[in-house]
Amino acid sequence: MTDGILKADKVVYSYSRKGPKVLNEMCIDIPKGKKTALLGCNGAGKSTLFSVLNALYKPNDGVVYYDGKSLTYKHKDIIKMRTDVSILFQNPNDMMFKPYVWQDVAFGPENLKLPKEEVQKRVDEALFTVGMEKYRESPIMKLSYGQRKRVTLAGVLAMEPSVLIMDEPTAGLDPQMAYEVMEIAEQLNSKGVTVVMSSHDTDLTYSWADEIRVLDGGKCMYAGAPEPFYSDHRMVQKAGLMRPSVFMMNKALSDLGRCDLEPFPKTQTQLAVKISDCADREFGKLYIVKVDRDVDIEPVLESNSLKGKSTGVYGISTRISLNRTGFVPDFYYNGPENCTMKCLDGHDAVLLCDPSMVATARSSVDFINSNGYGNITVQEIDPKA
Amino acid sequence: MDNIFELHDVTFAYNPRFPPILNGFSMNIERGVRTAILGCNGAGKTTFFNTLTGVNKPQAGEVLYNGEQIEYTKAGLMKVREDVAVVLQNPDEQIFCSLVEEDVAFGPLNIGLDREEVERRVDRALKDVRMVGFNRRPLQQLSGGQRKRVAIAGALAMQPKLMIMDEPTAGLDPQAAVEVMELAEKMALKGVTVLISTHDIDLAYKWADRSNVLLNGKIDFVGSSDDFYVNAENVYECGLLAPSIFNTNKEVSAIKKMDMAPFPHNMAEFVAKFGASKRSGKLCLVPTTVEDCVAKFEEMTKDVKDAAVGIYGSEVRFELLDRDIEFMFEGLESCFTQAVKGRDAILFYDEIYAPTIQKQIDRIKEFGFDLDYEVVA
Repeated sequence: MTDGILKADKVVYSYSRKGPKVLNEMCIDIPKGKKTALLGCNGAGKSTLFSVLNALYKPNDGVVYYDGKSLTYKHKDIIKMRTDVSILFQNPNDMMFKPYVWQDVAFGPENLKLPKEEVQKRVDEALFTVGMEKYRESPIMKLSYGQRKRVTLAGVLAMEPSVLIMDEPTAGLDPQMAYEVMEIAEQLNSKGVTVVMSSHDTDLTYSWADEIRVLDGGKCMYAGAPEPFYSDHRMVQKAGLMRPSVFMMNKALSDLGRCDLEPFPKTQTQLAVKISDCADREFGKLYIVKVDRDVDIEPVLESNSLKGKSTGVYGISTRISLNRTGFVPDFYYNGPENCTMKCLDGHDAVLLCDPSMVATARSSVDFINSNGYGNITVQEIDPKA
Repeated sequence: MDNIFELHDVTFAYNPRFPPILNGFSMNIERGVRTAILGCNGAGKTTFFNTLTGVNKPQAGEVLYNGEQIEYTKAGLMKVREDVAVVLQNPDEQIFCSLVEEDVAFGPLNIGLDREEVERRVDRALKDVRMVGFNRRPLQQLSGGQRKRVAIAGALAMQPKLMIMDEPTAGLDPQAAVEVMELAEKMALKGVTVLISTHDIDLAYKWADRSNVLLNGKIDFVGSSDDFYVNAENVYECGLLAPSIFNTNKEVSAIKKMDMAPFPHNMAEFVAKFGASKRSGKLCLVPTTVEDCVAKFEEMTKDVKDAAVGIYGSEVRFELLDRDIEFMFEGLESCFTQAVKGRDAILFYDEIYAPTIQKQIDRIKEFGFDLDYEVVA
């Protein structure tokens, strides 16, 4: 409990004096610098907890700690808290104030009294990150639900928070956009941002989260790694949840003796390799090219004789470069997984990767190699070296 | 073909100065078919739904309901709306009243049903969405997921012929999502045509007979989901991704040099394809009614030690809610999975689901697995 950046100690909260305690002596900690998924059924208290952790609600009882200090709810404290801790609410309409897209994104940074150029830069960058740069001048009224959701995400990104809380960030988004949001969350975390996410999509959070916290009836019923929780089917059922499909497939096949239970695969590719028993076949080679925003992709591929191989992208710097140079990859989504799959199939693949995202990009290959499911050679190429 | 709705070359724009949302859009909705409407944000799904209910009047093209063109008069629209119920993505857009029971009763009262019938329907609907005891609760004190359940109850209480569900599971926790899909299945079995749009592709893949895919205000694909997802390039262009079980099947089949077909659509079928036990567990399938399910449950589980127990359907779940049951949710899929894994299993289900159970038995056979089952009538 020592390195929790946000902590609630016996926090009680109810919306009205006679109403039920939505948070009932809740004790919870959010580990610093990690990816934490907050799970629980409807009405378990997830959104209320978020509002308490952001100092929007003051608890009836108990203490909230931020970075080791208890929150006093003095004006200065609250401002500091809200500058550092940003929330992306479930419903975008709850958090849009301004008539035009760029104004809405600029609202937060302007409130921080940042210089005009800095605000501009942050707005442009944030809109690009969420793929809404073309809608800069559009009226918010004209946007669809999914587009609004992206604009609100941009508004939160422009605050450059050190803790990002996301309440159901993918609800209402189509699968590609949902994937993009998860990539953004991954990217922020790789820069040191603590990310907390509530989601009913257990498949999505399972491959993403380092840690889970499970709420039930206003209390935290489980804190720790996902696997011990999901292994206890009764506890999962009591919490109103279902088990992730990758977890279940792995468990079903290990129960049948087709594979060991551990290590736990987190993604489809990891599962597929684990149950296919293919260690002795020919594998392709994986080239991970570090593509920063100012790197031109074509010449790098040319000079390393990588032209003609399947390509995937991963991370925002690479996407900026892609946008600038007009390069068209084979795998725009799920780059690391798709490239790994190519290698398993015996073909070489090139992953164009944001330099800060290499470790995450390697996770499936590392899973395969270190557990003896295969032997995929990885070569990292840094055009700036 | 028996179509409940036909759209021919429909064009619709919210504002004539902007490009149309539906652009030369044609689609048939076949009666009784479980249809998933897929497409990325902005593809035109919600606009299409509003065209079916007559909320949007197209600028060009025709909308036929039961073979007749919709009349955009009060009487004409009333005729459509008595038969067609909609669950909107955002429950707050369709909740009018301050108390739960008032809101669920709103639709039935509006079509002139008597008090008693309305009360019966409200009770039934609240049971179906597991919101019993919330009758007199103010809606504003409910969580987002609870409000969504109330909105679904309101649509159920209308007993529609066509049920349109726009993202019915968005914002619902996983167990509630499973229950909603059970309800959708039950309606389909009762002869209601159910249309679901969802971004939860895994869910749609398990449930739908047919996928209709929209792209830029036009129809991109109509057919079986497998035929759609096989074409990865087109899936990508439509802004979608393939379901996880489809992908895993594709990858394992590729590595093992196996045929992708037959395509497993759930866990039981996946295990049957890639790792089934040599001997099937004994699967007892027990259809139940409200009256006999408790007695049957007690009788059948009396001497059982190792068998898995699961339930399927809102009625049996309501009656057995306080029991200790291993698979309170997704019982159908779980019990079949257990049997395929070689463990005995007992499944209690609302009797209306008999055809769904039979379909699952047949599907498991397609994977070459010899399932040892018995229907205990």
